[in-house]
Amino acid sequence: MELNLMTQKEILRIENLKTYFDTWAGIVKAVDGVSLDVREGETLGLVGESGSGKSVTALSILGIVPRPGKIMDGRIIYKGQNLVEKTENELQKIRGKEIGYIFQDPATSLNPVFSVADQLTEVIRRHQTVTKKEALEKAIELFRLVDIPDPEIKIWNFPHQLSGGMKQRMAVARALSCQPSLLLADEPTTNLDVTIQAQILQLMKNLKNSLGMSMILITHDMGVVAGVADRITVLYAGRVCETADTKTIFYSPRHPYTKALLTAVPSLVLKKEKLEVIPGSIPNLIEPPSGCRFHPRCEYAQTKCAKKIPPLVEIEPGHYVACIRASEIEIKSPLGAEANE
Amino acid sequence: MKRKKSTKSDLSNQNERKRSKGVSQWNIAWRRFKKNKAALAGALVIGFVFFLAAFDSLIAPYPPNALPAFYQGETRVSPSLKYLFGTDYVGHDVFSQVVYGARSALYVGFGAAAIAMSLAILVGLVSGFYGGLVDNILMRITEIFLVIPFLLILLVFLQVINAVAPSGVGGLSMVAIMIGLFSWASNARIIRGEVLRVKESEFIEASKSLGASKRRIIFRHIFPNVLHTIIVLTTLMIANAILVEAAVSFLGFGDPNAITWGQQLQKANEAVKEAWWEGVFPGLFITLLVLGFSLLGNGLRDALDPRLRE
Repeated sequence: MELNLMTQKEILRIENLKTYFDTWAGIVKAVDGVSLDVREGETLGLVGESGSGKSVTALSILGIVPRPGKIMDGRIIYKGQNLVEKTENELQKIRGKEIGYIFQDPATSLNPVFSVADQLTEVIRRHQTVTKKEALEKAIELFRLVDIPDPEIKIWNFPHQLSGGMKQRMAVARALSCQPSLLLADEPTTNLDVTIQAQILQLMKNLKNSLGMSMILITHDMGVVAGVADRITVLYAGRVCETADTKTIFYSPRHPYTKALLTAVPSLVLKKEKLEVIPGSIPNLIEPPSGCRFHPRCEYAQTKCAKKIPPLVEIEPGHYVACIRASEIEIKSPLGAEANE
Repeated sequence: MKRKKSTKSDLSNQNERKRSKGVSQWNIAWRRFKKNKAALAGALVIGFVFFLAAFDSLIAPYPPNALPAFYQGETRVSPSLKYLFGTDYVGHDVFSQVVYGARSALYVGFGAAAIAMSLAILVGLVSGFYGGLVDNILMRITEIFLVIPFLLILLVFLQVINAVAPSGVGGLSMVAIMIGLFSWASNARIIRGEVLRVKESEFIEASKSLGASKRRIIFRHIFPNVLHTIIVLTTLMIANAILVEAAVSFLGFGDPNAITWGQQLQKANEAVKEAWWEGVFPGLFITLLVLGFSLLGNGLRDALDPRLRE
């Protein structure tokens, strides 16, 4: 299975993406040289603290970075086409049809003045030539797909009549309405309570498998990616720290930041007395720290860390780390060895 | 016993069906509006004036501008059964003239509001949605319109038009157009503010992520979400336009050929002491109609505000 993943075709490759925000305070380098790839049929977890550039990366893929944000450099290659070079009109045909997006807050990502049926058929009719009636049938079918009971009745509801979990199901249905090849899920479960969270994640996992999509799952919750992602890319302050398959990230991380993230996960198994935190906070992205951006908070930092920007190096097949001391230091996973699975 | 049970389940079934239809914002607003007695009273007053305007020639005992009292030496007599609101010094029946004035008031009110709101919506939507330089330019123009003394410039324009063109060109329409052209600015600012608020909503971003075009976002996602503000502003704009028209007519700058309440006020002006009925009745109708629109507007604001939910 893992070997299979290695050889699978890429559906999306981001190379050296730079998305900056030109604000009155200065240029915010929200995404500063991110490279990652998503293969066909896999789920890539995009993990990092708030402000690490996860969402901006995803918005950049669709070309909907809010003003004053702008993609300054880099390539986003989706199925062999560079999305950065596409015009707005061309992108509009890709959005929703080829690449779906699920937003964090289902309460605000639905238009309050239209019924759910209106909002679903709108997307279907935007990208497919079908009659109103056919679109409605498709919408009801989608509702059934995302496990909403009584779809024929519920579809006429307005967003305020649906519960949070139901709304997120509706948002999933909307994102899937045109069978996209790639689904971007931007913290899709953050605003839901834990039981609903599990249901939605399971639903997305099942749908991904049955529809044969690829998915980028953005989250700051290590527990969420552990259950869903095949591979994980860890971002910090707009740069990639480490990319590897999920098992490797959890059991043999090589970047100090990945380790720090894992240490901060509350765990019942490890019976920690108090919650570990990463000292300090995410740096100012207008004038980020020189060299490795994590060095001011890193327990392994040396003076050379502040001098050179660490390149993303493949230290094992499929395991990329951006730390110049990666080969010098030995990092033990806080979760213990891999043996216990 | 058995029967009772079945009716009960029938009822709940019916409720189920009703609920399943989906409760739109309009349903909610209407439910709330119905409870507001003041707003209903306002709507009633407006309805009454509409009724007068629609059937004016049937309701008024005399034709427009007729002088029934003139030949009988009954000028400036106080209200009686024959002349419900009395007569003025020329010999008009005040009641008939008030009835004919209803149409003018509504015409100017709705006409001016239509023009002003079209401009305000256009400027507000474009300015709020596009932002940047477009916003900057449009907002500076708006500010120019906000700072000019509205009534004065209006009078000057009407006077110039009257001087240039043969008297009564456009008539009441010209008054309505002028009021409309000079009173959109503050509404444009309010609509722009609403657009800015809605524009930042996640559902706008969501529709972008689904491939919606700019036009679609403006008209399908932003416009319906600021519509409640627009409805309220329109109602209040109508009230305002009626007041302004009355003021313009009162000052003698209105259309001399039209029958308006403002003009009746002006004619009554010189005889307040001897013939109170000449001024009180048209004045009362202006007040009632404007109050009606204000009550309606306030009621609509309470009913349509999505933040107030029972």
